[in-house]
Amino acid sequence: MNGTMDLWGQFPLAIAAGLLVGATCSVLGTLIILKRAVFIGIVLSEVAICGIALSFVTGVPPLVGSLGLTLGSVGLLAWPYEQSRIPRDTVLGLIFVLATAGALLLVSHSGFGIQEIKSLVYGDLILAQEADLRVLIGVLVPVLAGTMIFLRPLLNTFLDRDMSQVLGIWVALWDVLFFVGLGLAIAVAARTTGAVLVFAYLTAPPAAALLLSRRLGTVLALAVVFSALATLWGLHLSFLYDWPTNPAICLAAVLIFLAVLPLAALQRRWRGSSPSAGAPMDESDPPAGCRHRRPNR
Amino acid sequence: MDERFAIQCVNLHVAYGRQDVLCGVSLDIPRGVLLPIVGPNGAGKTTLLKAMLGLAPIRKGYVQTPFLFSPPGYVPQQKTIDPIHPVSLLRIVEMGLYPRLGWWKRIGRDERARMQSILDRFGLWAHRHKTFGELSGGMKQKTLLARALSTGAEVLLLDEPTSELDEETEQEILSQLQSLVRERGKTVVLVHHGLHQAARLAPRICWVEYGQVRWMDSADGLQGAGRERARP
Repeated sequence: MNGTMDLWGQFPLAIAAGLLVGATCSVLGTLIILKRAVFIGIVLSEVAICGIALSFVTGVPPLVGSLGLTLGSVGLLAWPYEQSRIPRDTVLGLIFVLATAGALLLVSHSGFGIQEIKSLVYGDLILAQEADLRVLIGVLVPVLAGTMIFLRPLLNTFLDRDMSQVLGIWVALWDVLFFVGLGLAIAVAARTTGAVLVFAYLTAPPAAALLLSRRLGTVLALAVVFSALATLWGLHLSFLYDWPTNPAICLAAVLIFLAVLPLAALQRRWRGSSPSAGAPMDESDPPAGCRHRRPNR
Repeated sequence: MDERFAIQCVNLHVAYGRQDVLCGVSLDIPRGVLLPIVGPNGAGKTTLLKAMLGLAPIRKGYVQTPFLFSPPGYVPQQKTIDPIHPVSLLRIVEMGLYPRLGWWKRIGRDERARMQSILDRFGLWAHRHKTFGELSGGMKQKTLLARALSTGAEVLLLDEPTSELDEETEQEILSQLQSLVRERGKTVVLVHHGLHQAARLAPRICWVEYGQVRWMDSADGLQGAGRERARP
């Protein structure tokens, strides 16, 4: 307990940055999992790193380089690939390869080379500065607020594109807005926390939350809670055992996911055996304990 | 647009890539009728429905509908909503309220009551908290029908809405659609698989073949025409 308090006293900026990045990325991550587009997360993180590497060579501010390349990639990804002969995943793969190779080649010309790339990819939350936190608040809070405010049309387009279009929702516009928000969040977060931690926040807490609940509101809330737990636990482990911070948080996030697995299995079993969890029983339901599926009527 | 008609298609050409799917379809669908669209597989029935909805790439011609201001109810051919979504059956049906609620309004008491009556009609109220993945094929189909009705639309476009239902439920749903037309004056356009059943549903049916409307009359007339064509 004392250790945690010391941690809070010594690294308030790191904790605040971790909690904010975790909350935003876990909400956005839930949506990209529902869109079955998780790979987008790691690709955009890699592109953000490439943008920062580009800024070393060109002399533009890292934030500008990272945002520019990320939003450019978002433009490519927002293209409707449904009718295309090349699926979106393939384009993602190509962008990933290009961004990874590009970052390495660009940084190889700087004085630090591979070490610099390593620090960009893995980052270090503990080194977050006040200026970083200001940028994070300025970008992530509006992105998070926008996502929550416009959750209904966003979710409708994810659920059923055709029906959404019929209902008058501009699906292409919402797609673009979502990807732009995601790109902004990843570009800014990756600059402070490193690409791998951003991707960990995008995947592990939402995956754990999706295992536990069947309501979107609860899933989003749980994802935020899990990301906060992972941040605090990871920082604590790092402080206690002198581990590097970001890998410790990543490990904590994955451990939370693994801890949730048996809980989810228990929950499923309980739901399966509890008539109150589903529809009320009637005379045509199978007898209690019978696993036979009720026929269509 | 002529007020007598709910939908007017004029010389409609639709193609996917180089593949022509509809070739010069002209069709006027009057208000307050049930119109089954029938025809062999690959004839262009679903594409015709999608063109009416603005979901198909129209190369030539045009469709006139009131859908910009009052969106229709729609049941797609693919009865799939990704089961990964943590949303209940009730939430899926409430999606039909979007034109009234937009992105900001909360669902009111009246709308809740209406949702309950629609779900009751399909026997789904007791299952309202289940996710789409937990429903049987028939219940999924009923859910999407309930969603089409929840829009409160004057025009319903349904693509094989009973394809996964057993006979008894199919009859029940089809008679509900007939009563919607008779009692509430709704317009129902229905892509259907069986000619004989379609003939029992409505006085006129629309026969689509090779991307064209080949016949728009009673089933008797259609069978007569078929005999004519078959005659050497």
